[in-house]
Amino acid sequence: MAASTAQKVAEVREVTRMERIGAHSHIRGLGLDDALDARKVSQGMVGQVEARRAAGVILEMIKEGKIAGRAVLIAGQPGTGKTAIAMGMAQSLGQDTPFTAIAGSEIFSLEMSKTEALTQAFRRSIGIRIKEETEIIEGEVVEIQIDRPATGQGAKVGKLTLKTTEMETIYDLGTKMIESLTKEKVQAGDIVTIDKATGKITKLGRSFTRARDYDAMGPQTKFVQCPEGELQKRKEVVHTVTLHEIDVINSRTQGFLALFSGDTGEIKGEVREQINAKVAEWREEGKADIVPGVLFIDEVHMLDIECFSFLNRALENDMAPVVIMATNRGITRIRGTRYKSPHGIPIDLLDRLLIISTSPYSEKELKQILTIRCEEEDVEMSEDAITVLTRIGMETSLRYSIQLITAANLVCRKRKGTEVDMDDIKRVYSLFLDESRSTQFLKEYQQEFMFNEVTEDEMETT
Amino acid sequence: MSRDTQFILRHLGELEQLAEEVLADKEQIVDLDRTRNGNREGLRSLIRQNRQSKPGQSKSWVCFGDMFIKLPGPTAQAMIEQDQEKLTEEIDRLHKELKPKVAKLRDMEGQKEAKGFDLTALSSDEMKAVGR
Repeated sequence: MAASTAQKVAEVREVTRMERIGAHSHIRGLGLDDALDARKVSQGMVGQVEARRAAGVILEMIKEGKIAGRAVLIAGQPGTGKTAIAMGMAQSLGQDTPFTAIAGSEIFSLEMSKTEALTQAFRRSIGIRIKEETEIIEGEVVEIQIDRPATGQGAKVGKLTLKTTEMETIYDLGTKMIESLTKEKVQAGDIVTIDKATGKITKLGRSFTRARDYDAMGPQTKFVQCPEGELQKRKEVVHTVTLHEIDVINSRTQGFLALFSGDTGEIKGEVREQINAKVAEWREEGKADIVPGVLFIDEVHMLDIECFSFLNRALENDMAPVVIMATNRGITRIRGTRYKSPHGIPIDLLDRLLIISTSPYSEKELKQILTIRCEEEDVEMSEDAITVLTRIGMETSLRYSIQLITAANLVCRKRKGTEVDMDDIKRVYSLFLDESRSTQFLKEYQQEFMFNEVTEDEMETT
Repeated sequence: MSRDTQFILRHLGELEQLAEEVLADKEQIVDLDRTRNGNREGLRSLIRQNRQSKPGQSKSWVCFGDMFIKLPGPTAQAMIEQDQEKLTEEIDRLHKELKPKVAKLRDMEGQKEAKGFDLTALSSDEMKAVGR
């Protein structure tokens, strides 16, 4: 009984893990060779050869630091891989290059002005690489001896014996250390590190030589080798923090907690200026490296004219990241004005942009993308099923057919099959409507829905 | 011997010497840390003893090489403290020199440079400003 419950719990967990596979988690780079030519299928990217080459060229410019403060626009129909290309660029920039993705409508909030939201997004995309050096004491606990005063009151004193393979020594313990040792439940045979500056104790695990002390042991017990060398070691850690994180920590009204609660409010301009100055100073002294990142603004046509003019200015700052924007609009009204402009972006900003356009996928490319997604989502699918899914993708949209993969897999698992076949696809195709079938359905049965007195020509205008 | 053999021989000799130096330095750091920990233990008990006895009354045996000398407590304490400082300095120096030595060794062995960022560490005050 208990075992079956445990299994169920495990199963549920697995589903949530699957949900966390993002729509673009299969992208590992732009899939370019050394000559910057796009390989047909590589690093999760399929097709869009032209766009990928263009993105690759821009990437090289970013890496050489030639393009700071410039921006790129990726334009194309929905579902043609705009976000995928942006993700690919982010991936090829390397692990600790900050990449911030926001949607154009995200900056409209009651708590924060639009420009503040944009500034924060800008500063989230610039990383500062710094090094921390700490002194730690690392060793295996040989013995802990704690003397409690006979009266039960007063300060406790104690001794802690630590050893490495080379040496052994005794430390006198004060009340505070004794408390944290008891809190961490440190006992003889544990391998611990003690941060010298803060006195923080971390348990690394139990020593291998003590592996036979008990027969019954929790599964989380980790065995480690007794450390080698000196007891007092030096540890170097390199962090990459973003300018925004430093802003938040140093704006006095906020405090560190704001980082987690998410609601950072507005940050004063002076604070930002001071931080910029300090960072520049660290850079001079060789204490910090600046890692210019990428800010990706999806659905950029949702920004209004004020934001666009702010962007114009902000891009000229020498700490500006590379801004990549994506839009799926053609010639449309600029938000906040009555004027029409290509992509809904003012001409003066458009003039500063490098524009990459994406085109719809061919059938063959669709099939390859679906195959990659199947792999990413851990779904076994028969050849026929993929062909059917590709056809569905051609007729409806790529997004819809990708969504069918997991759904079909669930159906397949319900019937205890090992491989998703055509019937599974057909079943989910009948279960879930795509956009055009849903429209069709609405047209047929509109009379039976509520509030259906909208007349035909009113529909046209909206 | 041909020129090539000469060259290789010299190269290997240099390599061996450098590797030996790195190993010796590592060993020395361990040795110094051992002495430092021993001193620290001694210092602790000296301080405790000095505190318990009347001022100017405590005396301890201190071992210099293979000779024991009886010294007044505070004097012994000051001596060990001085010693500790020197030890810490020496360990720091060795640590600092070790990195370039290892880099040079790797270079001579034809290995890639160990990956790093060539950064100077921030002080603890500065670390606070970035919230770590």
